[in-house]
This record gives sequence, C-alpha cells and structure tokens, in this order.
Amino acid sequence: MNKVKRTPEIKQSVSSSELEPNFKSEVLAHTDVQGLNACFSCGTCSAGCPIHEVFPEYNPKKLAKMVSLGMKRQVLNSPYIWYCATCRNCEQRCPQNVKFFNILNALKNMAAKEGYAPAVWIEQTKQVIKTGMVFPTEKSWVKKREELSLPFLKEGHPELKKIIELTGIDKIKPKVDTE
Amino acid sequence: MNKYALFLGCTTPTKVFQYELASRWVCRYFGIELIDIEDFVCCGINQVNLSIETGLLMAAMNLALAEAKELDILTLCAACTGALAETIEKLNDVTIRNGINEKLRNVGLEYKGKIKVKHISRVLYEDIGVEKIKREVNKDLSGLQVAPHYGCHYLKPKSAFGGFEEPDNPKSLHQLISVTGAHLVEYETLGLCCGGKVFPVSENLVDSLVQKKLDDLMNKEVDAMVLQCQTCYLMYSDRQKEINKEYAKLYSLPVLLYPQLLGLALGANPVKELGLNLHTVSVDRVLEKIT
Repeated sequence: MNKVKRTPEIKQSVSSSELEPNFKSEVLAHTDVQGLNACFSCGTCSAGCPIHEVFPEYNPKKLAKMVSLGMKRQVLNSPYIWYCATCRNCEQRCPQNVKFFNILNALKNMAAKEGYAPAVWIEQTKQVIKTGMVFPTEKSWVKKREELSLPFLKEGHPELKKIIELTGIDKIKPKVDTE
Repeated sequence: MNKYALFLGCTTPTKVFQYELASRWVCRYFGIELIDIEDFVCCGINQVNLSIETGLLMAAMNLALAEAKELDILTLCAACTGALAETIEKLNDVTIRNGINEKLRNVGLEYKGKIKVKHISRVLYEDIGVEKIKREVNKDLSGLQVAPHYGCHYLKPKSAFGGFEEPDNPKSLHQLISVTGAHLVEYETLGLCCGGKVFPVSENLVDSLVQKKLDDLMNKEVDAMVLQCQTCYLMYSDRQKEINKEYAKLYSLPVLLYPQLLGLALGANPVKELGLNLHTVSVDRVLEKIT
C-alpha cells in the first residue's frame, strides 16, 4: 500500500539567507507559467483542490508563495508536489488566470532533473520507451483481446524510442528513498 | 465526414475491454468509421511529470501519424483527449512547433496543425446529435436512475476544447444520458475528480476521493454511475472491492461506460457487444430494470 508521507508542516521562520531569489525566474522561464506574477494569494486554487481537501498539506496557494519567496530547496525536495491529481480546477477557477497546473509541472520537471522524482514515473517512462504504452505486454490481455476479436496491438515502437531519447527524459534518475 | 482514427490509449485496450467493445459497436451502429493506426503510442500525459517537452513530443507524434492519413482522432480516454487537445493548442506557438517538428523529422513525421481531436461522447453529441440518437432508442431505460461523471480532462483545459463545455457546469453527458430514457441523478460531488492520475504515487489519496463520491451516491437512489473514461471507471468500479477490504465498507455500485448505456438503449447484446459480463461490480441490477 502506497501511503502518503506526512511530514511536519513547514511553520518555522525562513531565513532570508536560505532563499534563492532566482528561483522564481527559473520557474518563469518555462512556457505558460508567466501568470505567477499576478498571484495575490487569494487561495481560490486551494479552495477548489480536491487533494487539498483530503490532504491539507498539499496546498497550491502555499506552493505558489514558496516559489515567489525563492524557497527552492524546500519546494523541489517536497514530496507534496507529486500529489496533484491533475483535475485542473486551480487554473480553471483562478481569478488572476494563473496557470498553477503548468507551474506545478515546471516544478516537477525541475525536481526530476535534480533527482527528486518518484521512481514510479521513471519506471513508467522506461516502460513507454520499451512498448510504446505505460504497461508491459501481458499474455492475459493479449489472449483476452483475441477472444473478444479486438485488433492486435503492435508491440515495440522504435521510432518513439528514437525521438523520446532526444529529450533526455531517459537520463532522469529516481529519488532514492531513505526511509 | 464520420471517419476517425481511433486512439485507444494504454488502459482501455489492456484493462477495460468492455469500453472498447461498446465504443466500436456504437460507432458502427451510427456509421462512424474507425481506423486503427498501429503506430499510435501513449499520449504522453504522465511523461509531463518528468518532462513537459517529452509529453508534447509524444502527443505530437500521434497527431502527426493521424494527420499523415488525413484523419481526425476519436478518443475514449478523457486524459488522452485532454493531452492531445492541449498539445494542438500549445503547438499553435510556432517556436514550440518548430522545436517539436525538428525532433519528429528524425522519424519522418511532421505536425502540420490540421487535425481535430474529439472524445467519443463529443462525436456522438456533435456529429450524430441527440435528436438522431433519440429516434434510434428502442429499449425502455426509464426505470434507471443514473449518476453522470464527466472526467476532468474531458472538460479541462477549457481553452483546448474551443468552449465546448463550461467545466463547472457541463451538459453534454447529461443530455446524452437523458436521450437514452434513463433518469439523471443530481448530486453534489458531480465535479469531483476520480484521482486516477495520482494513483501510481498514492493509492490512499485516491481512496479518499473515491469514497467521497461513492458516499454521496450511496445516500441517493442510484442504479449506476455512467462515465466516459476508463481510468475514472477503474477508480470508481474496480477500486470498490479494494476499498471495501481496506476500510471495511460495503460499496456495490454498478458503473457503466457511456457507450454501454447507449448500446443498451439501442438493443445491443449486453455480453457480446457491450462486455457487461466483464465488470468486477455486477451490473445485473441495471439489466433487470431494462425492458
């Protein structure tokens, strides 16, 4: 069972010497995240977030603020950035048109480059490179498709492997779980 | 032109065969020709977690494959729909498009920007239309109380769907259900996400979300949930057994994919054509109410 990890909420004061003022501009360098400058922390994103409702530690408003403050290490190392269900209510309802969903994806991409991505996504990418889909080929479903007269699914897509590796995604290393 | 490239995605063709069966049957019924493209790959939506560029590239590869055959795409999965439609929107930016095409050229592909992506429900709603569907209904489903569930990526991002739906007040699935004769159940958690995209990272986050919707529905007179995405289906239907075990619950709510409900209204064979025998939560109580 994959339990969510609850770690104590960051409530301690943050020393300005630990902040990385360039963090916000690094995030803003990604496409479709420019709206972050318009965020005035109204909290509509968190109010409409189904994950925040059942797991308050995942808090879009707070993450946006942490980015603006330059809390790079705390954000990229946070397990919470991986808990988004991708429902996109945050961006849909934002009165300032901030695309928090895109911001979060940019944060996850940055975290992945620094070695903080959950192993499950790296394994899935490996699988996609191998078979072109997120699941391995299993005899059971190949047989079931035959029984139901559904078309055969092609196995292996060398063209995909060829272009996917041009993006460098295959070089990303998973987070080493120390727990 | 009622001809589309069928984009199956990863989960439907390997885990939710009944969705594919019923979709193919319904399309055949209405003369929508589906072309299988064997070179299609995963839509790339989960790869966005690690690399936004990879996600775009995978979606663009699929778009280019369909474009090369001069076909629009018909999807079954809400998430594939969102990923492909959003990619079309993003590739309107010439700089992004050129970057993606530079990579696609290595495998002899080019995205030209001439393609549309439509979910099967939208195809039924727009290309066939509720009036035509209504004329074809030949079974009485009026004894059924049905709760719709849209799937987040069927609705969002709104801009990628050209204003097709108002995400916080959607209508197409309501109308598509209504036209079968089944009664709609209004419920508070209609817009609640199934959590499927966070399932690989955390099962218990999903269980919390799923239980909220199931609890809401168990308090009402509901014969079945009707939805239009195989991931939502797996969360709300197959997950019931796990949740019952893990949290000592007694959920047993039948869950149908929309083409199955429509197929029932059109007189399709429940087993051979709609795969209703493949459900982990029995749908017998739904079938008993159809005359």
